[in-house]
Amino acid sequence: MAKKPLKRAVRNNLVGWAFLSLWTIGFIAFMAYPLVLSLYYSLAKVTLSGEGILVDFVGFDNYRQIFSSAAGFSFLQSVRDFALEILFKVPVITVFAIIIAVLLNQKLKLRGLFRAIYFLPVIIASGPVINQLINQGAATIPLVEELGIIDLINNTFTEAIAVPLGNVFSELIVILWFSGVQILLFIAALQKIDRSTYEAAMIDGAGPWESFWKITMPALKSMVTVSIVFTIINLATFSENKAILHIKNNMFALETGFGFSSAVAWIYFLALAVILGIAMLAIKLFMKEKVRR
Amino acid sequence: MKKHSKFQGTKINPSRFHPSQIRYLIILTPVVLFMLLPLLYIFNHAFKPLEELFYYPPRFIVERPTLANFTRLFQVTGTSGIPMSRYFFNSLIVTALVLVASVLISTMAGYALSKLNFKGKKMMNEVNTLSLMFVGIAVTIPRYLIVERLGLIDNFFVHVLPYLAVPVGLFLIKQFVDQIPNELIDASRVDGANEWQIYTKIILPLIKPAIATIVILSFQTVWNSADTSTTYINNDLLKTFAFYMNTLTANTNGVAGQGMAAAASLIMFLPNLIIFIVMQSKVMDTMAHSGIK
Repeated sequence: MAKKPLKRAVRNNLVGWAFLSLWTIGFIAFMAYPLVLSLYYSLAKVTLSGEGILVDFVGFDNYRQIFSSAAGFSFLQSVRDFALEILFKVPVITVFAIIIAVLLNQKLKLRGLFRAIYFLPVIIASGPVINQLINQGAATIPLVEELGIIDLINNTFTEAIAVPLGNVFSELIVILWFSGVQILLFIAALQKIDRSTYEAAMIDGAGPWESFWKITMPALKSMVTVSIVFTIINLATFSENKAILHIKNNMFALETGFGFSSAVAWIYFLALAVILGIAMLAIKLFMKEKVRR
Repeated sequence: MKKHSKFQGTKINPSRFHPSQIRYLIILTPVVLFMLLPLLYIFNHAFKPLEELFYYPPRFIVERPTLANFTRLFQVTGTSGIPMSRYFFNSLIVTALVLVASVLISTMAGYALSKLNFKGKKMMNEVNTLSLMFVGIAVTIPRYLIVERLGLIDNFFVHVLPYLAVPVGLFLIKQFVDQIPNELIDASRVDGANEWQIYTKIILPLIKPAIATIVILSFQTVWNSADTSTTYINNDLLKTFAFYMNTLTANTNGVAGQGMAAAASLIMFLPNLIIFIVMQSKVMDTMAHSGIK
């Protein structure tokens, strides 16, 4: 009797790791090990030559350089810009995705078609097409600029706020294109709500607004977190992100090289961890305040 | 009566048109236009004569459609030694292998990390969440070293292997597995199902929307990626279609190159659209129908 639970625990471990094994092998070979190597390179001066890679250990020099050189400053600036951009874009994407998901969960004629069309930008936002669209300026709404909203923003706020806010407006369409997966996540969560709950609430005299906060939002709670994590990661690893371009450009640059570029990548990683941490905290506080079952 | 009509949308009514749907349609329809813009742009852009390609501000709709871009593209393909079909076939095999293998690997891992109990589960979950934040480009050089050390340079499978353990894929899959109630799994365990049966008979059918999403997303990455061909492959016979398309348009500089690039991106984009159309009905397959409440 005393032996059985132990056996079961061993068996559980075996089964668990068996399911996870293929992924773990792939992860170690192509993610974890390269990451460790890049951490090592970030502490070295790396030179690529015909004979191979020369690694010259320099301690924290690369990190010091980030905070003291022009290349480093412009990277730090792009991280700051990205953080501000997140501050505006993430709430917009999340709120937009929730609204659309709620609408697409209603009984509608042609609902399937609508859902497909709202999900369609996924194949554009994750492909090379989006870069082309943005580069050619096809993604901005000319109307927004014509209405003078950008000027209004520039005149009302200080530069630190006006620039990202202006970006949000001029990239409004792009923001919509980046919400496909988030809409899908929310629809999946909404479908778990029993429709009779709404009817019961209605009989008890709850209006649509109350139903939304008391029934819909609690059900979406965990997905809000997931969607925000996904949005931040998606925007942070987007190939046209300026911070990423810094990592890419420094990689083969003569003066800085791969060592510096690795250090930049690790600083970026830390910055993202902090941003995600703050976002999680904010969402937790907001949910506590607003959403109670 | 007024209150009652507010809730028509949530009744378990077959989807036929009812006037109460109009207010949803009023919000949904205009945004649909924005969602379809990129599609409109790609198709129109490929058929634009050269002077229209450089209009500023860019226009979405082609005024005088022409096939000149395609003719020019195919003229250039005729001059290269290796037939275009070879590259296309390479890409087809690579993409198919990645899709099948990565779906298998990430669903198995997602099931383990969500529903199985074993030592190290919590740690692996955190490892995956952390690695989400690390950007892929930063590990380009370490990855190259590993591929080289494993003797995989100029090996066809090097197109496939780096895409098999992708943190974002596992992250999304796990969120959907989390939604499956434990009671369902416990019930089948009582009925004598083992873990593999639970995985194939319960988990896989229930997370079809997530699988379809992953298929669409990883198709994007793999099909459009020229990176593995540039970095790991020297043998021209083993390179991919995306690489071929890139070199074609990059080697033709100037104005004509732009037109060819537009035609090439339409050709590259079409398979994405086809996959999307095939998979999207599964994406939107409601979880509610599959017994999850």
